[in-house]
Amino acid sequence: MNVFKKDLGVHNFTWANLGDIKEGRGDLGVDMPVLVYRLMQYTMLDVLTKAHGEEAANDYFRAAGHLAGREFATHVLDLTVGFNEFIANLQKALRDFKIGILRIEQVDPDTGDLVLTVAQDLDCSGLPVTDETVCNYDEGFIAGILFAYSGKNYNVKEIDCWANGDRVCRFTGTVES
Amino acid sequence: MYSPNSAHLDVESLPEDFQKLGAGLVFFSDLLKELRDFEKDLARGELSGKMPGRDNELAARLKDLHASLKHLTWQTKQVASGDYSQRVEFMGEFSDAFNEMVAQLNSRTKALNDELKVVQAQAIDLARSNSLFESISSNITEWIVMIDRETGEHIFSNHPIKNDLNNEILEEQLFDILFSYIKDIDPSASTVTKQFPLVGDTEIQYFSAMLYPVHWREKDAVAVVLTDITKEKEVLKELEHIAYHDTLTGAYNRHYGMKLLSDWIEKNLHFVICFLDLDRLKYVNDAFGHNEGDNYIVSVSRILTRFSRNPYICRLGGDEFMILTSDCNQAEAEEKLERLREEMVAKEYANEDGSVTYKRSFSYGVVEVSGGNKIPTAELLSVADEKMYEYKKAHKAERNSKAKP
Repeated sequence: MNVFKKDLGVHNFTWANLGDIKEGRGDLGVDMPVLVYRLMQYTMLDVLTKAHGEEAANDYFRAAGHLAGREFATHVLDLTVGFNEFIANLQKALRDFKIGILRIEQVDPDTGDLVLTVAQDLDCSGLPVTDETVCNYDEGFIAGILFAYSGKNYNVKEIDCWANGDRVCRFTGTVES
Repeated sequence: MYSPNSAHLDVESLPEDFQKLGAGLVFFSDLLKELRDFEKDLARGELSGKMPGRDNELAARLKDLHASLKHLTWQTKQVASGDYSQRVEFMGEFSDAFNEMVAQLNSRTKALNDELKVVQAQAIDLARSNSLFESISSNITEWIVMIDRETGEHIFSNHPIKNDLNNEILEEQLFDILFSYIKDIDPSASTVTKQFPLVGDTEIQYFSAMLYPVHWREKDAVAVVLTDITKEKEVLKELEHIAYHDTLTGAYNRHYGMKLLSDWIEKNLHFVICFLDLDRLKYVNDAFGHNEGDNYIVSVSRILTRFSRNPYICRLGGDEFMILTSDCNQAEAEEKLERLREEMVAKEYANEDGSVTYKRSFSYGVVEVSGGNKIPTAELLSVADEKMYEYKKAHKAERNSKAKP
């Protein structure tokens, strides 16, 4: 038994689990094609769907997105600033990390409910528009970010999606009572 | 297809091979209708109407536009609430115009805020200064009033003048006096100080007014600081009385008498000097004590008040008196003094316990000083003294016989 092997704690994700990408990819660099990201994501979805059914697979994706959103917000964004500044920072971060183009359409200052769109999304832009929601990971990702900032549980739903070249999805975020 | 509201295609009536095509045309017609309704809403600025469904790929670009307008609406509200971080992207020329507008608003708001901070700081300073001024002016007992030079209008007053006046009737008199000073004041003068009395029915109040010409609120005005100096005047009068009067008799003292004599000579007045000396005061002091001696001195002082209507009676010291008067000539003065002397001599005066009586009298010498007098003061007094001495010598026998108990 290798007693020097480090316990990476794979069952409890931490930001440290991402490793030192810059050092680890000295020649190839920190970026990679979206194609590779989606190859991993959708093959995983395929496996999960076949193993646990479509609904359960979507739930796994949504939960993974939520965890990712929380970790992303916690480690990349300043959670102490006011809402306007937080949204501005979030828009910039999503662009800088090439996750998507976020646009807020509506915010209810009393309830915290909001409506937003994400264009050129990392997960689903370029996919054919169907009647079915495909942005389950995004729903979780957005809910996780909002939870990290507000401490409130958001129920985020993709309510519309269209594409003619660029794909745009509209989401509602409702604070769960 | 060009009139989707009225178009109708009965798919089932079509030959079977064309029914799928017919159904496709109906679906396409529905998409077009949905698209045209959406266009109408957008054209009216209606962003909350029914949205085309996911199947309607024809509406994708318009949905992009709709999403941009929704986002833009929110951004505009954010800008209106002061969030100048908003930037429009991917909307071509409009993005540039909007972003420039927000940048300008941000810049102007910052400039206004900076200006506001300066104004607020000035307002705070002004409020402090005003508070300080109010505190000072309200705690200063003097009355401070700003008066318009042209109209006499009161522009400012730290408290009502009635507080300082014992009689309201004096208020009008006061303002008349102040306005007369203000009209005569030289605008280039730094400060003018005036003292004046206000004469009421039963009392007189004295005031000191310091007048400062100022230019205030585009008007030539005068700031007046008014102080009630009645008490000071009373104290001054008392001090003057003490300084110029003999405490025993109430007559003028030597200092005042000599000053008056010099003034009259300097002014070339025509008057008489009466030099008086009490007879045998030493004897009274020795025989009956100094209290009796003082009574003697006071009695002479009193009788001399009847010398004329307005005599200046001065006690030069000990048993010496001097009278200065311009009411009479030398002969008349001698006549009056003689009459007063005889009146005194005719009486018997008793000592304190009434056991002994004695005579009181005085000797005098009178010198008349003409308007063109060139004789020095000391010499005039010396002449009067000599005359008095001769008089005393001449009446010594008479006095000795009458004065002895």
